[in-house]
Amino acid sequence: MPSDTTTDSRPVPQTLPADAPKEGWWRSGTPWIWLNAMAVGVGVSAVAGLLGLIAVRGLAHFWPADVAVMGLADGSIVMGELVDVEYTDPASFEQAGGQDAGPIERWLVKTGNRRVNGPDFRWVLAANVADTRFPSDVAVFERTEWGNAYGRISALYENGVLVANGNHAWNEMQSRLERVVELREEMTATQSTTIDPVNYRLERLRIERRRHVLEGTPEAPGLAAEERRLHATYREAETRLRTLADAMRRDAVEIVIMDGRTLVQPLGDVMRVWQPNSMSVYDKLLHYMKSLGVFLTGEPREANTEGGIFPAIFGTVMMVLLMAVIVAPLGVVAAVYLREYARQGLPVRLIRIAVNNLAGVPSIVYGVFGLGFFVYLVGGTIDDVFYPEAQPAPTFGTPGLIWASLTLALLTVPVVIVSTEEGLTRIPRSIREGSLALGATKAETLFRLVLPVASPSILTGIILAAARAAGEVAPLMLVGVVKLAPALPVDAIPPFIHLERKFMHLGFHIYDVGFQSPNVEAARPLVYATALLLILIVIALNLAAIMLRTRLESRHEIAEA
Amino acid sequence: MIAGLSWRRRIADRVTARLVGLGGGAIIGAITLIFFYLLWVAAPIFRSADLRELGVSPLPLDSIIAVGTNDTVESLYAIDADGSISFVDPDTGALQRSEQLTPYPLAAARLVFPTSDTYALVGADGTATFVRVWFRRRFDGDIGYLESHVDHLFGGDSLRLGGMPARAADDHPATDQGSRFDFYLDESVLRIAALDPEGRIRLWQFERVDDTLSFPRSEDLIPRTRVDRIDFGPRGRWLFAVDIEGAVTLHDIADLDAAARTWSGRLVPDGAELLVMEPLLGRYSMMAADGNGLLTQWILRAGPHGTTLVPARSFEFDAPVTALVTEPRRKGMMVLDGQGAMHLVHTTSERHLASLPTGLTQPSAGVFSPRSDRIFLAMPDGDLHRYAVMNHHPEISWSALWEKVWYEGYPEPVHSWQSSSADNDFEPKFSFSPLLFGTLKAAFFAMLFATPVAVMGAVYTGYFMAPSMRRWVKPGIEIMAAMPTVILGFLAGLWFAPLVEQNLAAVLSLFVAVPVCMLVFAWMWHLLPVRMTEPFDGWFAAISIPVLVVSAWGVFALDAEFERLFFGGDAQAWFLATLGLDYDQRNALVVGTAMGMAVIPVIFAISEDAIHAVPRHLTTGSLALGATRWQTLTRVVILTASPGIFSALMIGLGRAVGETMIVLMATGNTPLMDFNIFQGMRTFAANIAVELPESEVDSSHYRLLFLAALVLFLITFFINTCAELVRQRLRTRYGSL
Repeated sequence: MPSDTTTDSRPVPQTLPADAPKEGWWRSGTPWIWLNAMAVGVGVSAVAGLLGLIAVRGLAHFWPADVAVMGLADGSIVMGELVDVEYTDPASFEQAGGQDAGPIERWLVKTGNRRVNGPDFRWVLAANVADTRFPSDVAVFERTEWGNAYGRISALYENGVLVANGNHAWNEMQSRLERVVELREEMTATQSTTIDPVNYRLERLRIERRRHVLEGTPEAPGLAAEERRLHATYREAETRLRTLADAMRRDAVEIVIMDGRTLVQPLGDVMRVWQPNSMSVYDKLLHYMKSLGVFLTGEPREANTEGGIFPAIFGTVMMVLLMAVIVAPLGVVAAVYLREYARQGLPVRLIRIAVNNLAGVPSIVYGVFGLGFFVYLVGGTIDDVFYPEAQPAPTFGTPGLIWASLTLALLTVPVVIVSTEEGLTRIPRSIREGSLALGATKAETLFRLVLPVASPSILTGIILAAARAAGEVAPLMLVGVVKLAPALPVDAIPPFIHLERKFMHLGFHIYDVGFQSPNVEAARPLVYATALLLILIVIALNLAAIMLRTRLESRHEIAEA
Repeated sequence: MIAGLSWRRRIADRVTARLVGLGGGAIIGAITLIFFYLLWVAAPIFRSADLRELGVSPLPLDSIIAVGTNDTVESLYAIDADGSISFVDPDTGALQRSEQLTPYPLAAARLVFPTSDTYALVGADGTATFVRVWFRRRFDGDIGYLESHVDHLFGGDSLRLGGMPARAADDHPATDQGSRFDFYLDESVLRIAALDPEGRIRLWQFERVDDTLSFPRSEDLIPRTRVDRIDFGPRGRWLFAVDIEGAVTLHDIADLDAAARTWSGRLVPDGAELLVMEPLLGRYSMMAADGNGLLTQWILRAGPHGTTLVPARSFEFDAPVTALVTEPRRKGMMVLDGQGAMHLVHTTSERHLASLPTGLTQPSAGVFSPRSDRIFLAMPDGDLHRYAVMNHHPEISWSALWEKVWYEGYPEPVHSWQSSSADNDFEPKFSFSPLLFGTLKAAFFAMLFATPVAVMGAVYTGYFMAPSMRRWVKPGIEIMAAMPTVILGFLAGLWFAPLVEQNLAAVLSLFVAVPVCMLVFAWMWHLLPVRMTEPFDGWFAAISIPVLVVSAWGVFALDAEFERLFFGGDAQAWFLATLGLDYDQRNALVVGTAMGMAVIPVIFAISEDAIHAVPRHLTTGSLALGATRWQTLTRVVILTASPGIFSALMIGLGRAVGETMIVLMATGNTPLMDFNIFQGMRTFAANIAVELPESEVDSSHYRLLFLAALVLFLITFFINTCAELVRQRLRTRYGSL
């Protein structure tokens, strides 16, 4: 930190003065110095360790691990990815035979095929494994439902008719898989460009009709016609979707899974297929980047335990941006008032203490306030006044993006106030007085001189506020975050930005998937990856603020010199 | 031109000043709004009830024996002794419609337990039929109509329950004709208890198949004493038999063939008379009033010597209680005393909520509306007295929030937070004590872990560390302060908690073994020639990291050895056996460590600033006088910086008290009052996060959660203000140095 530029002729030597007796080591306090040093070590290594843990576990998930085929002592075969190795105490693990032979090694294997095998994961005792092989023809199927499948492709069918088998099946499948991907994209496009807007429009029409009933005014003439037209469009799109779905069901592959059974897997449910054991490092890297891309830009699947987290990223960014837009003027105006306009005295000192204190009020308290005040009181009033026709379904009287942003703006406003005030304090009196002496009004001094000079501090405050807001979860749980939002808060349907919608958030995603999910074990790597992303965002914002502050300080020193 | 400009500039200047003043004021206002809004929402829970007379309407009926209303109090029905039911407008008394229910005149109409709309209509000769009164809203376009219906149950069949004794006790308020019978109905059985003229209790049980009754079984109980009144207990499995002197016997009739008396005693003191007796909702307790104005709640308690009734709490009134009407959905009641005053009381909170002089003492029937917002009393002269009740939060009182409360179904008073139960018969348990305890417990363990690490780290960083290293360490740990707590919570719950559970011995040994290893290393370091060690002054922290990592790794590798050595092979079993400590996977140790991680950067940053800011002339002066570095540190530096360190600790504590996500994710969230480090807890913050989204707006629960937020707000505000004041004093003191 550059802040020690002023006072440093440290460090103080820590070894004993040469004349001190050696046996005084203990009494001299040197052990204590070491313990103090250790405390720093604990802090630093904890930070590094946690970040490392999250990074390793989060990033490793996307690597296409080799699929092992293990022959067990009892003749059965286990096929899957080796996920974890654990050494268990024999005392807590009796079936190992009971004798005290030191820790027992066991492997956690992801065997997939949840539909036929039960759980995705199983423990295998290392001692029971007779041999482990990595056959090149084992394929991993990433599916839209039921998690991954592992097995060998034995045949390919089109409408139930055998098209290829053996090695040909693998090659033949590639082009057909591409077709499926295209069809799936088209389905998604139809859904988002036709069905969603039509549904939205139909709901608006229903509400508009109800408003006419409530107000006793005659219905606008075009309503019925438009409704018929929309219904027609909807039916058309629905037919299209059904055709596409039929087309996707055309092909199926036959897979031989680990216990020798065959499984017919419709290609329509398959996202990707790869044979990790025959991939080169370069292939794997390519696959890795692709998986990472899917994770960052894809939609979540299977109760958020698979797929991507794009809606959560988008929701977080939207919420933070909106919050920044709200908090910036509020914080700056308050700071300017406190520093430039209010008469300095006891009241202002008290207010300053209060502002400082508010930064320490638990975030959940803001959440409670936001829910009661913004959502139920303000939102409920807006609904009563502006949306009586939509009742009893709430429009603004329910948790949503705008309320989350407002709540977090209130939560972070002390950060902006404190930072802005700091910036304003740094500006020498002489600069202000010079401006006033030249005939500028106070307002002109403020806008032309004071605020521009203080702008880096203001920016620092806003960035720090954004970093805090991005990491907050507790208040959001009360005022607008959901585990799965049906639609993004921004879309192609007018008015394009839907402030009343609920949204997804990275932090809440971590909580929800890690703790509320039905399949925590399978979801865990995704949680680590999400956590890594969130940390990176927060650290990046903080680093930006620190760098800005550093530059500001050096500039300030130049100004002083 | 210039004049025009200056005019414009003047206006702009004024407007800016106004706007900034207004804006600044508004921000400050908004911030204080939080406090007042929380207070505004929470305050009504302590408000008394409001009881108001609405009026009297004469009903065109001779002798009313039961009254009731629909949910929204748009229609009131009265069952008359002539066997008819009349629906009237509750505001005017105007007849809406009436219907003959039985061909015979009625001696009693008794509400079938535990329903609130089914009546057993008993004739003078002991004939009983069952009817259900219900309402439905019909919509014609947008306009709704309320329809009233009466269904005859069991195909309109009537049962003969035997002759009715005529006794003087019939005029007694506790024992009218209806109290000679009781009826219990659930999905599968109908149970009936009746007193016959010989003083025996006859019990019947019918199997209920579709809408018919079959397979009656009957059993007689022969009480040892006189019985004037019988009531079924919870789930129809108990029977209370009471005489007007106040003697009560309790019978276990869960199995009809093995019905047995389990306990007998007195509900009123010896010599006193039992004036009024009513069971409360769910019938886990009985309210009994004696002639001296004492109303006692008797709770059914399962003890080592069988189930008994025990007095839990009493209410005193100026005059003897003459009538008592219980609320249909809560544990409250209306009481009329001998002076004609009406009182509202609630058992759980022991609150006397309101009083109103009415002049009425002995209504022939009385009822609360289903939502407890109206009381109707039918007098023997046919007048219907109507009262409005505003009593939204009777179950909460300051004492019930913090002190032990004797809830129904509990053997003794307890502190308990259980905001909802599976069964509506049980009262919600709203005690803040376990939550406050959990909050402080979590904060305590967090501070226990964080304080030494953060303060010692700050001491080293601020006083000993080489500037080039400090430049990296300080911002690094500051960034840690911005680490989203949801991530710490997630790691604590899913990674650290299982790790601790499997390596408990190692984790506990870490706290001793690592410092010891460090000291051993430091001793060896000290034996090295000064020439070699001198360049590393100020870099001890960096040197300590490999020592830390190696010793921690060693401890984990030796986990099984430690476990065998210190804990007899199984640490968790050892703690349970020797110290009586149960082990939860997500416990205070895990929370303390995780929350410690969240608090360390805060404490570290502030106390490091304080230590680093200690004026240099103080330390050099001390050193010049011959003090060692360590002496200078402890006697000068830490002393001077102590207000700053204190303030850092307070701010850290404030953060630990209010932290939500870590506690939510790393504990079991059970509201326990147990200081065991291996057990979880439920804190205010986590409780709010879990329960508020499910809470019904403006209910007692909702307001209580706002009160919890307010309490949290006040606690942290107090802690932070202390810290801030100390810091300001510190600043003035440094100014003088």
